[in-house]
Amino acid sequence: MRFFPFLIQAVLAAVLSSLSLSLFSPFVTLRRISYMGEALSHIAFAGIAIALLWGLNLQLTTLVVVVAVSLAVSWLARRFKLGEGNSLTIFLSVSMALGIILVSLRKGYSFDLASYLFGNVLLISKAELWELGFLCLLNLAFIAGFYKELFYLSYNAEMAQFYRIPAIRVNRLFMILLALNIVINLRAAGIILVSAQLILPAAAAFNLVGRLDRAVICSALFAVVSALAGFALSWWLDLPTGASIVLLEFMLFLASLAGSRVLRTKT
Amino acid sequence: MIRISNLDYSANTLQILENINLEISDGEFTAIIGPNGAGKTTLIKLLLGFLPIQSGSIEIDGIPHLDWLKTNPIGYLPQHEEFDRRFPAKAIDIVLIGLAGSVPPGRRFSTAQREKARQALETTKTENLAGKNIGSLSGGELQRVFLARALVSESKYLILDEPEASLDQPGVQNFFALLKELNQAGKTIITISHDLNTLTEYCSFLVCLNRHLHCHTKTDLVNSEIIHKTFGEAVRIIEKGY
Repeated sequence: MRFFPFLIQAVLAAVLSSLSLSLFSPFVTLRRISYMGEALSHIAFAGIAIALLWGLNLQLTTLVVVVAVSLAVSWLARRFKLGEGNSLTIFLSVSMALGIILVSLRKGYSFDLASYLFGNVLLISKAELWELGFLCLLNLAFIAGFYKELFYLSYNAEMAQFYRIPAIRVNRLFMILLALNIVINLRAAGIILVSAQLILPAAAAFNLVGRLDRAVICSALFAVVSALAGFALSWWLDLPTGASIVLLEFMLFLASLAGSRVLRTKT
Repeated sequence: MIRISNLDYSANTLQILENINLEISDGEFTAIIGPNGAGKTTLIKLLLGFLPIQSGSIEIDGIPHLDWLKTNPIGYLPQHEEFDRRFPAKAIDIVLIGLAGSVPPGRRFSTAQREKARQALETTKTENLAGKNIGSLSGGELQRVFLARALVSESKYLILDEPEASLDQPGVQNFFALLKELNQAGKTIITISHDLNTLTEYCSFLVCLNRHLHCHTKTDLVNSEIIHKTFGEAVRIIEKGY
C-alpha cells in the first residue's frame, strides 16, 4: 500500500489530538469535572460562529470566548451562589443557541457544520498539525512542572490551599489549558466527541493502575492505540475517524473493566 | 500565644460569634466545648484563615493571624475531609501534603522530607500504613494519618475539629492519650470536642462557647453551673464514678 503525505498527516493529527486530550484526562476524571469539557466544547461553538460572522481568526476568537465564559461562570457561581454545574449548563445551551443564530445570519456562506461537530482529521492542515504537537508538549510540560500541585489539587483543593500549595493559581492555569486543549482539538475531535476523549482513556487507566503517574502513561498509551486502530478502521471501512477512535476507546474501557476484575481476584 | 479580641461573626444575618475575647497560652491543651451551632467550627475556621474576619482581630505570636499563616505552617485536623475513597494516594502521600507548600513547583519531595513524613507516621503509630492506599484505611487509621500530616510540618500549634467523631470509645481514649503525649512534648493543642469526660481527663484549659464565651478557665475549675450556662438546662450532668 502506498502512503500519501496527507494520509500520514491525518494519522499524525489523530494520534496527537488523542494524545493531547489523554494527558489531561486523568486530572479531569479525578477531579470529576468531565462536565466542564462537555460544556466548554459547546461554548466554543459560539466562538466559531462569532469568528465566521465577522471574519476573525477562528482559533483565537474561540479561545477568547471559551476562557471568558469559563471565568464568567466561576464569577457568577461565586457571586450569586448558583453552583458551577448549573451556571455551566445555562451557558452551554445559550452558547449553542447564540452560535446557531449567528451562523444563520451569515446567509450564502457554506459552513461545514458537521466537521466542527464531529471533527475530521483529514481536514487538518500542516499548521494545525504543528499546533497539536505543540499542545502535547505544553501539556507534558505543565504536568511535569505542576505534578505535585495537580495531585493535591485533585485530592482536595481546600486542603491543598491550606497547606500553602498555590492551588488557585494552578487551577486557573489548568482551566486555561483545558480550554486551549478543547479549542485546538475541535477540528480534529469535534464539539460532540472531544469530551469523550477527555474521559475514556483515564477511566480505562484507573481501572488497571492505582497510581496517578502510571494512569497518565496508561491513558496516553490507550489514546495512541485507539487513534491508530481507529484511524485504520475508518480508512478501510470508510467510517468517520473521530467516532471510530471514540468507539475503540470505549472498547478499551470495557476491556479494562474486565481486567480490573481479574486483577482484583488475583490480589 | 493566640489572642482573639472582640471577634464577631455572622452569616446571612445570623449572629454566630459575639464579642469573643480569648487568650491561649503556649503549651496549653485547650478544648472548645459547646452545643451544636455554638460557633466552635466557625471560630476554628476564622483562626485558620478559611473564613474572613468581619470584626475584631486574631493574633498568633503577636502577628495578625493571616500574616502569620503566610509564613508559618500550622497543624490542622478537620472534622470531615472530603475526598474520593478511590483517589490513588498512599498514606505517605497524604502526610507529605503537610510539606508540599515548602517545595517549589517542578521539584520533588526530598529523601529527608520523605523520612520526616515516615517519622510523623511513626509518632501516630501508623508507620505500617505508609504504603497503603487511603481508600483501604479504617476511620481510626485515617484519623491518625491525618494527624501525622498535621504534625509533619513541626508547627508548635495543633488544631483539631472533633477528632473523636470517627472513633470508637477505646479509639478516643488512645487518640487523646497520644495528643497528651504531644502536648507534653511541647505542642499547643486546641481541640473541639463533645466528650466532656475525656476532656477533663486530658485537657488543661476549657473554652465554653455558645455564641458568647461562657468561660475560659482551667479544666478542673469547670463546674455544672458553667456547663448548664453553655449547653442549656436540658443537659444532665453525670458525675464520674457513676
